[in-house]
Amino acid sequence: MGKAARDQSARDRIKAQRQEQMLKERRKRVATIATASVLAVAAVGAGWWFAAQSSRSEEVGAALAPITVASDGSVVMAKAGVDAPVLEVFEDFQCPACRALEETSGPTIKNLAAEGKAKVIYHPITIFHEQTNKGVTRGNSVRAGAASRCIPGGVAWSRFHDKLFDEQPSENVEGFKIPDLIDWGKDAGVTDPGFDKCVTSQEKAAEHLAYSTKVLETQKLTGTPTLKLNGAEVDTGVAFKPAELRKAVLDAAK
Amino acid sequence: MLVTSENPAPNRSRIVISALPWVVTVSRLVLAGVLIVAGWGKIGTPVLSVQAVEAYELLPKSLATVVGYGLPILEIVVGVLLVVGLLTRAAGVISALLMLAFVIGIASAWARGLRIDCGCFGGGGQLAAGVEPDYLIDILRDFGLFGLGVLVAWFPPGRFALDSALGLTPGREPYDDLEGDDEEEHQEKETN
Repeated sequence: MGKAARDQSARDRIKAQRQEQMLKERRKRVATIATASVLAVAAVGAGWWFAAQSSRSEEVGAALAPITVASDGSVVMAKAGVDAPVLEVFEDFQCPACRALEETSGPTIKNLAAEGKAKVIYHPITIFHEQTNKGVTRGNSVRAGAASRCIPGGVAWSRFHDKLFDEQPSENVEGFKIPDLIDWGKDAGVTDPGFDKCVTSQEKAAEHLAYSTKVLETQKLTGTPTLKLNGAEVDTGVAFKPAELRKAVLDAAK
Repeated sequence: MLVTSENPAPNRSRIVISALPWVVTVSRLVLAGVLIVAGWGKIGTPVLSVQAVEAYELLPKSLATVVGYGLPILEIVVGVLLVVGLLTRAAGVISALLMLAFVIGIASAWARGLRIDCGCFGGGGQLAAGVEPDYLIDILRDFGLFGLGVLVAWFPPGRFALDSALGLTPGREPYDDLEGDDEEEHQEKETN
């Protein structure tokens, strides 16, 4: 073998070695990148799944606990003789986060009352000021709140309450219009002939607003929705997770 | 041994080159810090996160739910990747895209006259009365972060990156090579 040929074969060997080495490294790189990517995607997936699970709502049971609207406008939902723990719900029919709370934890709240595990008190109030969206938002809230006061209680009140959140308008447009409110009331099972007039004249609006002001002052609310359990504010991380809310209420009963 | 004529880069570009990896690292950390704080603020209450997305009135409800549940954890995971410098380019691209989406979302909310909290760091939804939205600040912040994301995506992975430690950055690997350790280059010239 001549020197040139020897050199050539040495070069080829080195070249082949290098190529093999590079291929190996490349495989390792691909494997590492794939592993890291899979882990990252799995972490996102797991977090997503956990978020979805923790937000899962209960099914509403067959029968609700008796519901009565008190003279001040607060609404008690409790089985006879159940006085504790007290779960208070401060909400505004026009507030999107309240709607989110009702969609998520509303069934749990109803079930807890129906099971006799808690005395639930709803406080429908208006938190929006006259300045917000030129008063449109406040107007919506007050019409809905005043209309809900025209129902003295019972299942009809609860159905109407749920319907209002289902039909919640955008804050920028006028919604909760009088004819709609009357229709929804009838759909909810209101038979009182005075209901139409009560809603149309908005005769409960003044007391609804007075009550809202009083509640906002005395309860030191930072906003709605607020849940209070035996007078102590429930953390939003609990309030918006049905299973955790149920646990908190059951723990408070011990 | 063959000696290539050393053609030293002018001083200024050399400084730029050697500073760039550090700039990328700082960008990574700033971006990661914001993402992790933002994700953490939202992850505790997925329902409100969904709510904040819905407040933009851009996505249909089902999609808003998916985004609301997924965004906080996505922000945290991408943030962690940026901190450790793993899959840096992908993390940079994703954060740049996220920021771009936020800029568009906020600008569109502004243009449509919505009065919402951007929900960037948790919270979100309609603002209380008397509180004016800070759309401009939100947009400028996210646009700046978009820039950082682009920088990271363009010049990954910067100093202190797992990508380098794991040898995931062939070709643009050791920044030190830029500074004159030309051993390999010589060999290659010889063999070719």
